[in-house]
Amino acid sequence: MDKKNKYPKSRLGWLWENMEGRHALFITALLGTALYNVLQLVVPHFSRQLINLFSEAQKTGQPLSDKEDTIYTLIGLMVGLTLFRVIVVYLDCMAYERVSQGTLFRIRNFLYNKIQRQDMKFYSTYRTGDLMTRVTGDLDAVRHNIAWVIRSIVESITLFCSAAVYFFLIDVGLALCIVSIAPLIFFIVLKFRKKVGPMHKALREKLAGMNTDAQENISGNRVVKAFAREEYEKAKFDRSNQDYRDTNIKTQMVWLKFFPFVELIANALPVILLMVGGVFIINGRISMGDYTAFSLLIWAIANPMRMMGNIMNEFQRFSAASDKVMEIYYSEAEIVDHPDAIAHPERFEGRVEFDHVSFQYEDGKLPVLKDITFTAEPGETIAIIGETGCGKTSLIQMIPRFYEPNSGSVRVDGVPVENYKLTDLRKNIGLATQDVLLYSDTIEGNISYGAMALTAEEVEKYARYSAASDFIHHMPEGYDTIVGERGVGLSGGQKQRISLARALAIRPSILILDDTTSAVDMETEKQIQHSLRNLDFPCTKIIIAQRISTTKFCDKILVLKDGRIIESGNHRELVAAGGYYAELVKLQLGESLVSAS
Amino acid sequence: MAEKNTYKQDERLDEPFNIRHLLLASAYIKKYLPKMALALIISALGAASGLLAPIFTQKAIDDAIPNADKPYLFLLGGMLVLVFAVSVILGLIRSKLMIRVSQSIIYDIRKDLFAHLQKLPFQYYDDRPHGKILIRVVNYVNSVSDMLSNGLINVILEMINLILIIIFMLIVDVQMTLVVMCGVPFLAAFLFWIKNRQRKAWQRVSNKNSNLNAYLQENIVGARITQIFAREDENAKIFSGLADDCRHTWMHAVRCNNLVWPGIDAISVCIRAAIFISGMILFGQGAKSIGTILAISSYSSRFWQPIMSLGNIFNNFLNNMAYLERIFETLGEPVTVDDAPDATEMQPIKGAVSFRDVCFSYEEGKEILHKVSFDVKPGMSVALVGPTGAGKSTIVNLISRFYNVDSGQVLIDGQDISEVTLASLRSQMGIMMQDSFIFSGTIRDNILYGKLDANDEEIVKASKLVCADSFIRGMSDGYNTEVKERGSLLSQGQKQLISFARTVLSDPAILILDEATSSIDVQTEKALQQGLNSMLKGRTSFIIAHRLSTIRGCDLIMYINDGGITEAGTHDELMAKKGDYYHLYTSQLEDIA
Repeated sequence: MDKKNKYPKSRLGWLWENMEGRHALFITALLGTALYNVLQLVVPHFSRQLINLFSEAQKTGQPLSDKEDTIYTLIGLMVGLTLFRVIVVYLDCMAYERVSQGTLFRIRNFLYNKIQRQDMKFYSTYRTGDLMTRVTGDLDAVRHNIAWVIRSIVESITLFCSAAVYFFLIDVGLALCIVSIAPLIFFIVLKFRKKVGPMHKALREKLAGMNTDAQENISGNRVVKAFAREEYEKAKFDRSNQDYRDTNIKTQMVWLKFFPFVELIANALPVILLMVGGVFIINGRISMGDYTAFSLLIWAIANPMRMMGNIMNEFQRFSAASDKVMEIYYSEAEIVDHPDAIAHPERFEGRVEFDHVSFQYEDGKLPVLKDITFTAEPGETIAIIGETGCGKTSLIQMIPRFYEPNSGSVRVDGVPVENYKLTDLRKNIGLATQDVLLYSDTIEGNISYGAMALTAEEVEKYARYSAASDFIHHMPEGYDTIVGERGVGLSGGQKQRISLARALAIRPSILILDDTTSAVDMETEKQIQHSLRNLDFPCTKIIIAQRISTTKFCDKILVLKDGRIIESGNHRELVAAGGYYAELVKLQLGESLVSAS
Repeated sequence: MAEKNTYKQDERLDEPFNIRHLLLASAYIKKYLPKMALALIISALGAASGLLAPIFTQKAIDDAIPNADKPYLFLLGGMLVLVFAVSVILGLIRSKLMIRVSQSIIYDIRKDLFAHLQKLPFQYYDDRPHGKILIRVVNYVNSVSDMLSNGLINVILEMINLILIIIFMLIVDVQMTLVVMCGVPFLAAFLFWIKNRQRKAWQRVSNKNSNLNAYLQENIVGARITQIFAREDENAKIFSGLADDCRHTWMHAVRCNNLVWPGIDAISVCIRAAIFISGMILFGQGAKSIGTILAISSYSSRFWQPIMSLGNIFNNFLNNMAYLERIFETLGEPVTVDDAPDATEMQPIKGAVSFRDVCFSYEEGKEILHKVSFDVKPGMSVALVGPTGAGKSTIVNLISRFYNVDSGQVLIDGQDISEVTLASLRSQMGIMMQDSFIFSGTIRDNILYGKLDANDEEIVKASKLVCADSFIRGMSDGYNTEVKERGSLLSQGQKQLISFARTVLSDPAILILDEATSSIDVQTEKALQQGLNSMLKGRTSFIIAHRLSTIRGCDLIMYINDGGITEAGTHDELMAKKGDYYHLYTSQLEDIA
């Protein structure tokens, strides 16, 4: 499953690549770790000598003053070297922090950019909670790997090797007896890895699942309350909470199965030392001093062995998390700039052409759009009308290239949209979507989202265009009022008007309104229609609408049914034609007339 | 009060260290005290058995080896194995116990946090980015578990250890013990210095992470808006700034954090030096025996070991306190709309709705409704019209008690709704909001949300009633089609129809439609209306709509403006009155004609 060729780089290779600019610091940090661990073995040497001096004095009864110089030198060495080690430890820790934070920063920015430049297919595949887990929790595991796991590996190896070398220098036989046990640990840890690897994968999924559940609950809090489904939501969250807890316990329990064996081996070391070393002393092979040297350093062999389990555990967590991160890191959007896309920084004229466009969602059964052909000349206003789900929104989303047609082509100013750079194309399009999404920011911040250099007067002008300035003025803090996430706290109509102002503020050459005034009252809508006809910049308008009052003044009306254009023409022509549109007019107008009479 | 927050703002810091938070935390530990006490005893036993090991080793070195007594040596080796085996087994039991305890504590906190969030009013969710709420439930809770379980046990163990060693030292020599202890004030000063800086430093880390999370969540949800405005580069800059804040606050926090361990190490080595030097001087004066000095020096290294691990735990504690504070702050968030202490169940609703002098404001001093009174008889259909922002949604939100009124009363069947339980009230209401929220899952799941135990027949019936059945059947898997988060593959109108079906399925006694059909085309709406009419018979309904064709047939039309009802009556009455409604109606007519 986790074959390394799934991504262009192995996990550690990927990590190394993202340490760019910090390679030297990282290697220095690794060397620093080796250094302070060696010092950790050297320093006790001096304090032991001190103790030996004191014990000798106790045995022989000699005054200590004879050796005062030696004692002071030893104390000086002990204190000096320890302070030196302490400083190295501190600097080393900070170096790891610097490298890991730098790497985290780099990967995080990279991921964010990957995510925000993805196409619609990506967003319908990955859920918000899942993506957030990758950028937060998973990335933290990656950071931890640099700051702790790799350091611990170096630490263990250094301790083990230096102690082993020291042992071999004293007595090869005894050293062999002790060190030869080490491979057993590797065997156990490898087995452990096999068991715990999948657990970490599962654990990570449970975390993302819980994140997603909580995230949806928070976003949908209004619906939850409206249906009084708090208990249901609690029960649902409880399941993912329990799942996470149980998986967590199971994962940690895996180590407990291996823990006795590892401890057994680690604890066997002093026993072996005692028995083999004891026999060697009795046989006169080693001295008591040699034995003491061994026994004082035996921890440097045992502790790294004990650490291996923890290290492997954390490394598996890193592996599971980094797979998830790399999946996004190496993902490619399907809708991107073509290599030969032309730059077009100037303003577009605003001619929009659909040439026999057909379209079907990848996971859909039926085509959404069939053979759509029409042209909107610069400055024209085109209305699109049709039943719920007839493909109106899909149609307009092809203009900014959110989706690409399966056949046919969409052209702006005579050039197929895929030949433009996405930024150039989209900067020319103002789109106010059906599902209004505002940011938790001030109203001014929301209006100037696409055109950040706007002055306060300009912001107000666009608010006036969209008939929003009145209600904004009535708010206690006016344009500085913070609207909640998704614009909560504002009514549907108010949100729509702010989103319209936001689209107008970029002075687009093509303005697309996807039923933007559906929640706006009639009076206000009239004002909006009026200002749209009198914008102070040239603009082609494509408007999806339900109301005849909106479509009436349009240059062309396209009636969409089941993904096809069944009628097109202006209001007068279509009413005269007596088709679907005429019916619609009758429906909306006729009823009113009946009652008004 | 209504302090709104965005990703750009740090959340307010609770200045003084709040001991209440620790008390609250102890409530979570209480449940597991027996288990934790057991773990503590087991650990203590393990530590005690560990102390036997040096005795056996010592015997081997002192007796067995010098006497070349191999059988005795092997016997001692065997004893050593036994001692280790016992401590491994005890360690195993402790780990097994504590893994469960620490995970259960996280689970409990998270469960309570989530349950509390369910009770918090709209306002809470409206005032802050959702990413900031989310990070508390998921990430923060994860961080504090170890501190509350193993951290606590280790503190106690190390304390016992420390006290024992101090006692041993005092027995050996009081004067020399004082030399060892003279490092303690330095340590205390050092830790105190760190504590004050660290608490704020970690709070800043949590704030910056929270900001990043908020921005991230909004931008993942709003990716399409980013793309349409081609704001990717600008957003990347903002995100990078937020990530940089995280990095800097982190680096700042660890700058002190990483000092603790080396700091204690440095102090301890100085103390050892002091022991040798003072010992030498005192020995020179004949005041101390060398044996005393040796004993104290060996105790001193064992004195600093528990202090080191306490220092580590302390460090962890400071770090996690920042998260714990945020968690308990959320748990302490007041529930403004809650069941009254003596709340009763709402009886099956007949449908009479009355407002008595209702005043309401979202923010103090800015009244949205002023002394609103009206009576609706059971079975009536009521339309609310008027300019956007006049308070139509507010009125219907008050009927379901999403907010509490400032003064006055809302009565259903003559019963003040603030005196009944929220669940019994809201479960009898069907509310369709402006923003139709679709959960991820199948279309069936989404409709089922209205009535969890509904069968397929009921689901299809509800869908047919709102004209959603045909388009649902046209989808790849019909009712089992997976709609992704926020229903990304559905049109807005389709989402409205699905949430309409959800509401219809819940079979409410009072139906509230707040712009429920704004995105549905006129013809579908007309068909829907017919189905709805049959369902509405005998049920009270409130409808907010702009389309006059929807409104005209209602039994009562209320024109809402300037915080109150300016006109009320049937369509014909209001037309005859030639007031606001007449004006609204005729202007719409002009537009079409």
